[in-house]
Amino acid sequence: MTLSASFKAAEQRRPSRFGRMLEDRLPYLIVAPAILILLLVGLFPLIYSLIVSFQRITMTENDTSFVGLLNYAELFRDTRLWASLGHTTIITAIALPLELLVGFLMAQLFIDRMPGRQIFVALLVLPTVISPIVAGATWRLMFDVRFGPIGQILSFFAGEPVRILWTVNPSYVYPAIIICEVWQWSPFMFLLLLAALSNVDQSQLEAAEIDGASYLRVLRAIVLPAIAPVIAVACLIRGLDLVRIFDIIWALTEGGPGSMTETISLYTYVQGFSQFETSYTAAISFLVIALLTLITTLVLKRMELAR
Amino acid sequence: MNFRRVAGAAALLALTTAAAQAADKDAADTAVEAAKKYAGTTISIVWEAGLQSLDPLNYSGPQWEKLTGIKVKVVEVPTDQMFTKIMQDFKSGAGAYDALNVIPSWMPDLARAGALEPLDKYVDKFGYRDELQDVAAAYRDNQMQYDGKIYGFPDDGDVMLLYYRKDIFDDPKMKDAFKAKFGYELAPPTDWKQFDEIGQFITDKMAPKVYGAGFFRTAPYPQYMFQERFRMEGGKFFNADTMKAAVNGEVGLKVFKQMLAENKFMPPGVEQWNFVDNLAAFLQGTTAMTISWPPYGRWAAGYGSGEEALKWVPKSQVAGKVGYALTPLGRPELGVGFDLSVSATSKNKEAAYLFIQWLNSKKTSLERVQLPYTLRDPFRLSHYASEKYRALWPDAPAYLDTIKTSGEKGLLDLSLLQQDKYDEAMTKAISSLWAGEDPKAILDRMAQQFDAITEKVGIENQKAVYKVWAAKPGAYPQ
Repeated sequence: MTLSASFKAAEQRRPSRFGRMLEDRLPYLIVAPAILILLLVGLFPLIYSLIVSFQRITMTENDTSFVGLLNYAELFRDTRLWASLGHTTIITAIALPLELLVGFLMAQLFIDRMPGRQIFVALLVLPTVISPIVAGATWRLMFDVRFGPIGQILSFFAGEPVRILWTVNPSYVYPAIIICEVWQWSPFMFLLLLAALSNVDQSQLEAAEIDGASYLRVLRAIVLPAIAPVIAVACLIRGLDLVRIFDIIWALTEGGPGSMTETISLYTYVQGFSQFETSYTAAISFLVIALLTLITTLVLKRMELAR
Repeated sequence: MNFRRVAGAAALLALTTAAAQAADKDAADTAVEAAKKYAGTTISIVWEAGLQSLDPLNYSGPQWEKLTGIKVKVVEVPTDQMFTKIMQDFKSGAGAYDALNVIPSWMPDLARAGALEPLDKYVDKFGYRDELQDVAAAYRDNQMQYDGKIYGFPDDGDVMLLYYRKDIFDDPKMKDAFKAKFGYELAPPTDWKQFDEIGQFITDKMAPKVYGAGFFRTAPYPQYMFQERFRMEGGKFFNADTMKAAVNGEVGLKVFKQMLAENKFMPPGVEQWNFVDNLAAFLQGTTAMTISWPPYGRWAAGYGSGEEALKWVPKSQVAGKVGYALTPLGRPELGVGFDLSVSATSKNKEAAYLFIQWLNSKKTSLERVQLPYTLRDPFRLSHYASEKYRALWPDAPAYLDTIKTSGEKGLLDLSLLQQDKYDEAMTKAISSLWAGEDPKAILDRMAQQFDAITEKVGIENQKAVYKVWAAKPGAYPQ
């Protein structure tokens, strides 16, 4: 068969209508199983939780009837829930800027090449690889009134025994949590900002230097605009993490004294796994999802990253 | 006619012989014999993770398998997750657990939900009622039944004891100085005023080497201490007619103020102490008095000190110097405890039952409460009287006698529907107390929380359960 004859034969064998339809939709068919699994894994629990939130399920009762919006109405009357959201906001509002500031200062310090830089960077990043529950337990020991080094160091400087009950005294519980949180997560900010600072256009910096611009002017006009997208993403990631903060507080104070440091994650856990209010816990979860979605959308819009 | 008489006599003889044979066998042997038909099966049992579970893992599980051919799978669960796991298994109907360890205060919730198998028919079938009479009354009468049915066998003699340093209390100089100051003998305190005076006196004389007392101040112990002291001072948790919380009256305030004031003569930072902190301080001789569960007494005497599993327990510096007494006012809190139960969803109910009967029987339980590495405490009259146990260390007779008396007088933990919520409210309140918040404000908040919980559970439902609980001999001091 000649080449031209082959082409003719091929033209004659044009795909049928079904074949064309199959050809058009083949990409979708190929990805469909993966999408289906993702939907099952991701959406099913969400939908199931949503259904549960309209029921009356508790671990101790057999009544699972639908109660409409009763659980959601209960959210508005639950003062402990709103207090826990308040505690979460306090911790986020203080810890996030501190982590950003410390991370930025550390990144500034390490932006210049120096001997042993890589070793120092690796050591500084160590806290972030530790499990938060371990970090919390470690800091609990550090703050221990009898054996903790913090008390001993303070006593050394004070010249007399300093006995601060970091995890009991209302004046010190938040500082204790924030110290631990900033210690663990500032290196995360440091890493991201170090990478961002390394990519700031050197020619602009050199030009500014030649023009005699001050450090603050350079920072405000060149550096910060250049690293702003990274700062936004870093703040978003850490902000969401802080809203979900659990382990460190659980290890340090278990939400105490009383409910003074109980965050929304701790409260949700207590309702779900200590008080067995399954449906109410689902309602709290949806409140948190709604709040986080709102915050994320607003932040992304604000940072013009949503596009 | 003659044939009838002969047949009747023969039947009577056969019955008498069978009864005599059954009477010869103890409950442990009966359980073993009956369980042999299940040889080759596996039963699972939920047990508190940690030291407690070394009992079925190292001792009773292998023994049972050797005797009956039934394998025991131990499901270790941390205490705070046991209720959830049991209920999850029940709700799912999975039947993953056959036998259970259940904290008695959970019994109303578990029994009402249907998660526990009523045991009466098995108790009768395998002739266990007589041996149950040997269980100390405080546990038998308070922790075994719900709504007239047996749902669990009390298997752990948890009760609070006062431990004190005999060497300090017997020191002539201390005795003389104390009597000169307070006008009565230095001896184990019989009320909280004496406790405070003795505690402060020892701290004044001996701190920082030795403090008057030390307590386990983090959850869950302080709420048991509050429950005990509140009732002994005349408090009632609820108004029985309205089910309104009554914890925030004068009695509650007095107890809270006393508890807070006691921290002043205890070692600095006592507000943060947990079970191990307090144990370490007492065993190292830093505190002259403490109140805790029975294992403290065994470990203070050095019992089990060579055990690998007890390496974390500080070496006792006070062996031979520790005295045992009732807690001030003489009605100690029973404080937690464990029952052995059968899961309602078990697929091997009879085999599971036979295992717990064997575990709980006079013979087996006596061995188990002497295992140095687990935390099961004596709970039978025969345990208290056991010559073998009484010979374990020089002061063991005094230890067992005190546990016996404490058990007889023990006050039952509050046990209502959704008890964990009331417990949490008490725990949170006490942690606020240590933080320096106004005691009255804390108590008012606690009462509000109690009322909210009661309302959610249903006032009439809860009233009925409270009525049953309050009528028990160990609920309120008579």
